[in-house]
Amino acid sequence: MSEQPDVSAFCPKGDVLVIAEQILGDLQPVTLELLGAGRILADKMERNLKCLVLGYNLGDIPQKLIEAGADEVFVADDQELYLYRTLPYRRVVVDFLESLPEPPHTCLLGSTTTGRDLAPRISAHFETGLTADCTELDIGPYDHKNKVDPTKIGLYPNCLYAIRPSFGESLKARILGPWKNPQMATTRPGVMTPNKIEPGRKGKITSVPVTLQPNDYRLIVADTVREVAKGIKLTEADVIIGGGYGLGSADGFDLLKQLADVFENSAIGASRKVVDLGWIPYQHQVGQTGKTVRPKLYIACGISGAIQHRVGMSKSGLIIAINKDPDSPIFKFAHHGIVGDIYQIIPEMIKQFAEIQSGRGVEAVVGTH
Amino acid sequence: MSAGLNIYVLVKQVPDTGSKAGLNPDGTIDRAKAKRMLNPFDRFALQAALHAKRTYGGKVTAISMGPPPAVEILLETLEHGVDEAYLLSDRRLAASDTLATAYALYKVLSYIGKPDLIFCGLQTTDGDTAQVGPQLAERLGLPQVTYCEDFHMEDGKVHARRIIEGGYQKVVAETPLLITVANSYHPLEYKSFRGAYRVRRLARDQEEMKKFIHTIDLDLVGADPDRTGLKGSPTIVAWTEKVGELGGSCVMHEGQSAQELIQEVISASDLNQFLVPSSTSK
Repeated sequence: MSEQPDVSAFCPKGDVLVIAEQILGDLQPVTLELLGAGRILADKMERNLKCLVLGYNLGDIPQKLIEAGADEVFVADDQELYLYRTLPYRRVVVDFLESLPEPPHTCLLGSTTTGRDLAPRISAHFETGLTADCTELDIGPYDHKNKVDPTKIGLYPNCLYAIRPSFGESLKARILGPWKNPQMATTRPGVMTPNKIEPGRKGKITSVPVTLQPNDYRLIVADTVREVAKGIKLTEADVIIGGGYGLGSADGFDLLKQLADVFENSAIGASRKVVDLGWIPYQHQVGQTGKTVRPKLYIACGISGAIQHRVGMSKSGLIIAINKDPDSPIFKFAHHGIVGDIYQIIPEMIKQFAEIQSGRGVEAVVGTH
Repeated sequence: MSAGLNIYVLVKQVPDTGSKAGLNPDGTIDRAKAKRMLNPFDRFALQAALHAKRTYGGKVTAISMGPPPAVEILLETLEHGVDEAYLLSDRRLAASDTLATAYALYKVLSYIGKPDLIFCGLQTTDGDTAQVGPQLAERLGLPQVTYCEDFHMEDGKVHARRIIEGGYQKVVAETPLLITVANSYHPLEYKSFRGAYRVRRLARDQEEMKKFIHTIDLDLVGADPDRTGLKGSPTIVAWTEKVGELGGSCVMHEGQSAQELIQEVISASDLNQFLVPSSTSK
């Protein structure tokens, strides 16, 4: 207890920084979500919310970021930044952070293929802590007493609480790293709530220099393909029809597609087993080694509901499970369970929904008369 | 390239979450009691490393960090055709976060050789962070391709396809290069007969085994112990909380005709709101 370090040394002043993400000029939804979460953190500490955006010909994106909650936007606009590449983006972010009089308190990125590629490089460069895939963020005090490293002992008034599921989502862990700034985290897309857009909101826009080094060009992008095909954007679907081994064969997915067509903004999901069997491509996989989804409606067809699948979809608004086996684990967490043969249940479902739709059509026609 | 590629694959032993063994009532895992397995994501990295060796020539070395039982997964990699393996095992590594882990692995790689290609799984099933690969690349000053679905080499460069949001990207990268391999890459092939035979023979002769699986520690690789373990980790798990038990509130529908079952579910759950608006009214 003898040498308590000076607490003020651990109460740094820095702001909250969000690193924005855009693909070919499309601002990614996770950026707006990060500005929502970042605004709350910044307000709690009475700091500013800043945002760094990289790209080329960014146009009105900086102003959009201000309208979404940023107080100041730093813009790195350069032809070399047109497409995301690890090393050039890393260079600009590192140079930018080093140019600041003091590091940000917190630095947030999205848990996307880009954020998860870039954030670890930044954290390793500055040797600062990074927590992946957070589902909640907060600011609060922390009293560190562990004696393994006496230099870390102390009461830290403003720490980033990076909260994430762990151990197959049976636990929630609060991860802290107040000893070094920026305290970094990535957040899962679709989880944080964006701010209400304030058209015409005023903020400062500052240009950031871009100076790349020869060894930043060790990777080039030959082609970028965006597939907007139905069924691929799982994380943004309102309704997901999930298929598992109980389908019996790859052909079962044809039936699921028919069911999906009945719903608006729907997509096809799958368990790992059927992806491994090659019944459907990996992009459809939901679960621990696939995507985490939270649609408004999830219809699980022939999915047993093993923990590895459950962790990827258990937060869905309404879960309806169809399975032959009444003891299947999926019936432990679904909201409605139908015990029966998929090949009888689903065609019947499609039929009844079609009747409702045509019935609704009649009502609509009647209503206009 | 005459001597062939120097290929490394990083693997981790993780608790088998599919098994109930070692699962504490509070939801944490007792790693000593839990069944152990090769991180499922690493199977794709292993396949990629072996593919690179078979196609372009060279040598594959597996590296793992963990307690002594992790030797099991290194033997498994040998059965699949890996040439040699290193296990970094040291009590001072306990409670390392991703940054401390990446530092330790960086020291191992600096100690054992000059890599051309380093393959990692996309992430682990016990940490789910996907951070160690890129953090290691940063330490080594290398370019990286994460979420790699497929690759081939041409004129000494790696042509890779990587997943991005709602699509993919084709990139061309110089070596040395670190690649994290996505699940959409080819699944791991069966163990080779030769590999399995070799491991059976090794298992009988500890001295012979040491020639192929090297257990090393922090001092040997010249790592600063203060930069590993709890001390070298900028983050700590301050507390954990059990996420609510499964509801058990599922409304079951069974024992009737399909028609009645669906009627029951539809009337109980307001599914109509999700339907495509009818087109018949046009």
